[in-house]
This record gives sequence, structure tokens and C-alpha cells, in this order.
Amino acid sequence: MVLELPNEIGAIEKAVDHAVECCAHARLDRRRLLFDFRVGLTEAISNAMLYGNENEPGRRVRVELRVRPGEVRACVADEGRGFDPDRVPDPRLPENIMRPDGRGIFLMRALMDEVHFNPDGNAVTLVLRDSGGGDRADPRARGEEGVRDAGGARHDLRLPGHRPDDDVTRILAAAIARSAELARQAEASRAELEAALEANRHMRAEMAREHASREMQLAHDLQLKLLPPIPRLPGVEAAARVVPAASVGGDFYQVIQLSGGRVGVMIGDVSGHGFPAALIMALVMSAATIYAEEGRAPAAVLEYLNRAIGDELESTEMYLSLCYCVLAPGRSGIAYSNTGHPHAFVVQADGTARRLFATDPPMGIGPTPYGQSTVRWRPGEDLLLLFTDGLSDTLARARRSTGEELVLDTVGANRHRPVSEILDILFEMSRDAVPSIPADDRTAVILRTS
Amino acid sequence: MSFKARRVGNATVVEVNGQLIVGNRHELKRLVLEKLEGGARHVVVDFARTGYIDSSGLGILISLSKRVRELGGELRLASLNEDLQRLFELTKLHTLFEIRDSLEQALSD
Repeated sequence: MVLELPNEIGAIEKAVDHAVECCAHARLDRRRLLFDFRVGLTEAISNAMLYGNENEPGRRVRVELRVRPGEVRACVADEGRGFDPDRVPDPRLPENIMRPDGRGIFLMRALMDEVHFNPDGNAVTLVLRDSGGGDRADPRARGEEGVRDAGGARHDLRLPGHRPDDDVTRILAAAIARSAELARQAEASRAELEAALEANRHMRAEMAREHASREMQLAHDLQLKLLPPIPRLPGVEAAARVVPAASVGGDFYQVIQLSGGRVGVMIGDVSGHGFPAALIMALVMSAATIYAEEGRAPAAVLEYLNRAIGDELESTEMYLSLCYCVLAPGRSGIAYSNTGHPHAFVVQADGTARRLFATDPPMGIGPTPYGQSTVRWRPGEDLLLLFTDGLSDTLARARRSTGEELVLDTVGANRHRPVSEILDILFEMSRDAVPSIPADDRTAVILRTS
Repeated sequence: MSFKARRVGNATVVEVNGQLIVGNRHELKRLVLEKLEGGARHVVVDFARTGYIDSSGLGILISLSKRVRELGGELRLASLNEDLQRLFELTKLHTLFEIRDSLEQALSD
């Protein structure tokens, strides 16, 4: 979760309350969440506003929350020049104790399990962890500067002055800076997304007045323009193709490079046709890239996606079948979430296919949160095959078996060929069939890993 | 309103409802200074209904305590829960303030 706050101290309490709500299900000691975390976060945000941003109204403070079971991390960044947290004097010393200020950083360190400043000193990350039933470790063993023990007794806090584990701090700080950069990019993309949403609304009104064929041409162009090239990734052989129909369906695919050599593969089909469907598709693709690149699990990516476009789907009465898979190098399983996408398979070494069953109804119809599942994957042997109705329906009418069976048989029979050749064969078959069928987009993605 | 003041005998009791933090500390300051101008000298800040206090809140209490002392009065703190008590101990401010377990005790001697 990311909160962007104006530089107003009046905004702090609500922001902190909101952050605490977001942690409600995180298996944390409730009392520490409601007290230690609230105080620590209040300190971090007010420091950012008053000292980091020097109380300037135009500046902003960004709070990023990462919650997982038993742990919450809050990164608070300001737009100031930063400062050296270790030069703040110990507020407990007799010469300082009467001072009304200078306790913020001390309190953060005393109340949180970890506190890290970035090298520039304009972002701080607070970590609160579950104590595991009150059996709290010696804070010094963790390199931290003071935490209560389970009974609430005080440990004497080390004076600020030098930090332990400077390397770790630097690495963490670099990671924090990187995540802040990613978040900034995501924010920029979100702004684009909102602009696109606005454009969509505007466009729909405009397009109603435009000639239908003109609309189709535009939508067609947009769809093709949006489809990204398949990235070249080490250990991954992937190919994908869309052949848009005259009426434009809103099919799309993405192959996304993720951290740690992992790869995300997505295929989707927007239920509607024409320009609105193409625009929905555009929104989905830009939003999906953002969330996928953050390295989230498939169910979480879909969850975020639904938050981004759920209202738009509802207002346009469209829905979205989408399958998103994450493959990790050397791993024998594919994690995936599938909102009602019918044609997702692992074609195995013996030529048989294993279906990636839908975990949920299509997005825009079904409830969230989304489910996630795993299917067995043998690197070097199996093929991941995703395709849309357009392809199988075409073939169903051309031949006498079901289109899906025909696609699977064809891929199975050609499984040892390069994936781009398999695609050629599939599309060649469906091209021959075109004259006899009503148009829909035909899309397929095939991928193998070594 | 986060803060309410009432007269109990010759003491002025100020109740902190919710938080005492950077966003509202000046309200408390204004209220107490107003009471001091009105002649109050024995001020009790009652934390029975307080969620949390941040460093700015602690700072305001320090400033007010100084001011009351300059006027020959005394500022007491009452009804700190365990977490708030811990906050004062962590910062060693428990050595600086007159802290009483309950409002009754703060008013009794």
C-alpha cells in the first residue's frame, strides 16, 4: 500500500490509522501495533514533514507499507535533503532531557524492531515483527538499539553514534531506494492509467458518434500497437501471436521479465468488442505490468488489477478472462491464477496436456480475493500453452473435432519443434479455416524453459 | 474536541481524548495557557482516555510543565496506561514529571 501525503501535520493521524487498519490481519501483537507502531510511524511521518520537508506546504511525504504475516515494514520518504540520524543527541541525557524536541528518532528506534535510514537520510524504514508469543529476543543480538522485553521492562538503550551492521544497513538502504524508485515509476504509470481511463470515457462518448468502420480501424491499430514484443530472457524460449479479427476482440498477451530470473506469462480476453474492449485491454496491460514487475504472486497481481480496472469493467459491463502464470528457473511448478480463462495447458513430454483449471470466475463477475494454484512443470520438457477462443473456435468449425482438442493434438505432435514453428503451424491451420467463421481475435502464447 | 478542561476543587483537570500528537499538540498548549492566564496553578492532565502520545506531545508537556512551574504551580500527569508509562520511562521523562496512577490520587495530595 502506498500513501502520498500532503505536507500537513493534520493528515498524520488519519494516515497512521489507515496504515494500522491495513495491518489488521497481519498476525502482529495487537497492542504493539496499536501503540508502538502508531507512535513510531507518527514520528517517522512528522519528522519527514517538519524536518525533511522543512514544513514546506508544496512537498509531499510518501508512506509505503509492506505487510506480510508476522511483519510490517513501513517506508517513509520525504523530499528534503536528508540528515544524519546518528548526529541527533541522546534525548535522555541530563543536558537534553528538558528539551521539548529531539525524541522522534529515539522513539522510533526504541519502539520498532528495526529502523533503517537510507544513505541520503530522507527515507526511513520501520519494521515491526510479531514477537512470537512474547518470547522476544535480546535486542542487542539483532543489532538493534533497544526494545522492551516481554515483561515490558526496559533495556538500556545504546547511545546513538555508530550503527552496527553498516553493510547490511547500506544494502537495505539501497533496496529501499530502489523500491522507492519503483514506486515512483508505478505512480507515474498509475497517473497514465488514470489519464487513459479518462480518455476511455471520453472516447466512448466520442466514438458513439463516429462511423463504425473507423472505430474498428482505430481499435485494430491500438491493439496491435499495444502488444509488446516478447523479451529475450535467458533460459526461456517464448513466442506469441495475435491475429485480430475485423471486429476486434480485445485479446492480449504479455511475457514479463521478473526478478530472480523468473518470468510472468499472461493471456487475456476482454469480453466486449471494438474500441472500449481495446481500451480495457490497454489498461489491463499497463496495470498488469506494474504489479507483475513488483514481483507479486499471481493472485496478488490479479487482485491489484481488479482494484485498478474493476470499476471500469463494471461500468462497461465487460468482463475479463485472464490467466497469469509465474515460472521460476529450475522450479518444478508453475504458480498461476486464472479468472475463467478456458485454454491454459502444460503440454507434457509424452504429448498429453494438463489443464490449468480456472481458479476463479472472470474478473468483473466473480468475487475477490482470487485463488492461486500450482501445476507441475518440467523445465526442458514441458511446454506452456495459452490460447484464446478465437483460435480454437476457428478450428472447431474447420474440422470435426473440437477446436481445443485439435490445438492440443497439434501442439503435442509438434512439441519438439521451436515454439515459433509450433505457432506457425497453428496459425497456418486456422488461416485456412478463416472464410467459414465469424471473426474473433486469435491469440496464442507458447513457452518453454531450460 | 481532543481536549476538555474542567475545574475540580482548586485544580484544573485537562482530559486528553484520543491522541496527543504533532497534529493537535498546539490545541492542548492553547487550552492550558488559557487556563493559566485565568489563574489556574494546579493542572492535572488526565490520560485515562488517551491512545498514544508522540515525541511532539511529550515536548508540549515539557514546555507546559516548565511554564506552570515558573508561575509557582505544578503540572501532574494521571492515569497513564502501561504503554504510556513505558513511553515516559523509555525517555526517562518519568523522572521529570509528577505522575500519579489515577486522577483521584493526582487530586488528593
